[in-house]
Amino acid sequence: MAYKISENCRGCRACVRPCPTTAISGERHDVHIINPQRCIECGTCGRVCPYEAVLTPQGRLAQRVKKMDWLKPIINHKTCVSCGLCITICPVSCLAQEFHLEETAARGYPMLAQPNACIACAFCAEICPVEAITMRSREKQ
Amino acid sequence: MSGVMGKVLWVDLDNHQFREETIPEEVYRNYLSGMGLAAHLLYEHIPPGADPLGPENVLGFVSGLLTGTPSLFSGRWMAVGKSPLTGTWGDSNCGGYFSLAIKKCGYDGIFFTGQSEQPVYLLVDPGGPQLLNADDLWGSDTSATEQLLLERHGDQRKPGVICIGPAGEKQSLIAGISHDFGRMAARSGLGAVMGSKNLKAVVLAGAQPVPVADPQAMKALCQKPAKITRFRIPLSARMMILAGKLLRNPWFKLRWDGIAFSGVLRKWGTVGMNQTSIEWGDAPIKNWAGTHQDFPLDESKHISPDAIADLEDKKYHCLACPLGCGGKMRASSGSQPSHRPEYETTLAFSGLVLNNDYQLVIDVNDLLNRAGMDSISAGGTVAAAIEWYQDGLLTREDTGGLELTWGNRDAILALVEAMIARAGIGDILADGSKRAAERLKIADRQAAVAAGGSELAFHDSRLDPGFGLHAGVEPAPGRHTSGAFIYYILFRLWTRIKGLPKPPLISSKRQNFIPSEALIQRAVAISKFTNFYNALGICLFGIYIGVDRLPLFEWTNAAAGWSLQPEDYMTIGHRIQTLRQLFNIKQGIAPVDIKVSRRALGIPPQESGPNQGNQIDYPAMRRMYWEQIGWDPSSGVPTRDTLAALSLDDRVAGWEETHGL
Repeated sequence: MAYKISENCRGCRACVRPCPTTAISGERHDVHIINPQRCIECGTCGRVCPYEAVLTPQGRLAQRVKKMDWLKPIINHKTCVSCGLCITICPVSCLAQEFHLEETAARGYPMLAQPNACIACAFCAEICPVEAITMRSREKQ
Repeated sequence: MSGVMGKVLWVDLDNHQFREETIPEEVYRNYLSGMGLAAHLLYEHIPPGADPLGPENVLGFVSGLLTGTPSLFSGRWMAVGKSPLTGTWGDSNCGGYFSLAIKKCGYDGIFFTGQSEQPVYLLVDPGGPQLLNADDLWGSDTSATEQLLLERHGDQRKPGVICIGPAGEKQSLIAGISHDFGRMAARSGLGAVMGSKNLKAVVLAGAQPVPVADPQAMKALCQKPAKITRFRIPLSARMMILAGKLLRNPWFKLRWDGIAFSGVLRKWGTVGMNQTSIEWGDAPIKNWAGTHQDFPLDESKHISPDAIADLEDKKYHCLACPLGCGGKMRASSGSQPSHRPEYETTLAFSGLVLNNDYQLVIDVNDLLNRAGMDSISAGGTVAAAIEWYQDGLLTREDTGGLELTWGNRDAILALVEAMIARAGIGDILADGSKRAAERLKIADRQAAVAAGGSELAFHDSRLDPGFGLHAGVEPAPGRHTSGAFIYYILFRLWTRIKGLPKPPLISSKRQNFIPSEALIQRAVAISKFTNFYNALGICLFGIYIGVDRLPLFEWTNAAAGWSLQPEDYMTIGHRIQTLRQLFNIKQGIAPVDIKVSRRALGIPPQESGPNQGNQIDYPAMRRMYWEQIGWDPSSGVPTRDTLAALSLDDRVAGWEETHGL
């Protein structure tokens, strides 16, 4: 399964650069295509498309969202078990560890180190085994 | 199906070509992933009699079925292949985050065949696989190699990197494969296989998530183990010594709860057990010939958990681990923080060789990690060399002037450096103690403490005979992680598997030395279960809290979308174990020829110490184990009935008559 680009595409290339797996190709002003072998269904192309040209794997129209309204991961360190699944699954490596001193030495917990690099894919929240991550918009943070 | 990626990648190093193989769901249902999938593939693809260091050997890296799903302790990966150290099935388990890196590339495993003419490394990114020139990396240590590859290929996301160091390049038979700057897939000598293939490194930079059938069910199942492993038990180093002294009693053992171990691991890591193990009789001293009295508390205080914790900068967790038993500290030789030596390395280069200088342990650990050499086999080999020197079997001329006396820190450090460089006596010792004894023409092999040629780790089988039994009967011999009687108590299998007995709260220590149906039933259950969890990518330390608290069976069902019972998964474990045994037989290994060192079996018994008088009736135990697991009790070859019951009979078609099946 993969996202698809419809005939609505004007070839503006807005989706090409943010795609974390360089799955999108095409000439400027031509309809672009998504390589289904490379697509990881992060939905970034749909969030940035200004022409309602991106369809989800289920065939629904992907909604454009202003970048300032993209949901970001909020991590509850009281629930977090430092397992690192979120950091490792992140397709753009925007999460990193911050260290808190515990009993005998510092232990790492995830933090959103590069908020501008975050593509709001929510892979981190989906994989978190202890539900320590919620995706929230900026105004709710 | 879910939980797995459904494909493996084959890399032909002869022709620099790639092939993706889709794995049918039936294979996952029969073998799961991880070690099971590896056994399924290697059994078919490695021809009988293949030279482990030749082009016919297959080197694989496999993830686990639960890796990358919302589960805990599921971040282990494995290197697999025919071992050049033992000639048998070889596997080596490691943590870090490489296991998910494999799956993020869309594969459950990556397998290498042939040999490249020039040094190369594999890069897999969303654009697909490529073999790239590694001339500039050849000769670099593991840390420098990983750093360079992370910089070169980490522009979009941090890749997972594994590599060999100089030990693997020089095909030392005790070379391992490094990940995360010195975490080692160390055992079975698979670093030498990687070196023989001219494969310097593997860099995985995929980004695919793992499909999961019921992620919410998996998350709900995580609550209990997460809560248990975060629970802090008030512990002190003094308490750990006291525990060791109490456990030393010659009369009884307890059915203790692994939650206590979990607390030790969270606070100190594996080194939390250093002094407990020495005092208890678990840690072999002076190359298995001494006792705690040869390395008293005044000596072992330098490796007390609190002393080590004072030197630690940071704790770290492997992928999916809520416990976090790893630690970083600085070695004197390196500017970067290095891994804190684990229990095995610490005991190898302290009690085993009577060294009381902890700085030597740190330095040797850093050296071995950078060289990519197994610290268990290196430690066992150094201890054997010291014993040979002390007994006059090695001369100062042989050692190039090194005074190999017990506890001589400078000589030990120089010897390890020589082994890494394959210089002088080091060249002979770099292939392990068994081959060293052969090359040095040392007839008395008792100082080379090993099983099947693989040095034993530092848990005394004269305290827990299960370590000795499993070291000899497992398809990958000489391993402390594949089974012991204590694991049955810690894993609490009787709480989930029908028909398995619950041990009494207090029982006699002697019972572990008397071969009985009940005792061996537990050993067989541990073998089946170990193969099961190694197919999931689960960490041994996670299961210390017990299977009634760590829901492995339910996680697997929720990840894959199945509804199998725990007994069904034990049957899968049995199938994997039996197929690995068939691998050995197909390769011409007679199971009766896999020997366990007499010293480790208490022949002759120790005259003092916690394990005084203890001797293991290994032949009787092995015979009962083979019989109970469905292998011929006199030859260890799986019986036709067993093969039929496990649907393995078609796997031996065409060669069964010649192998006694």
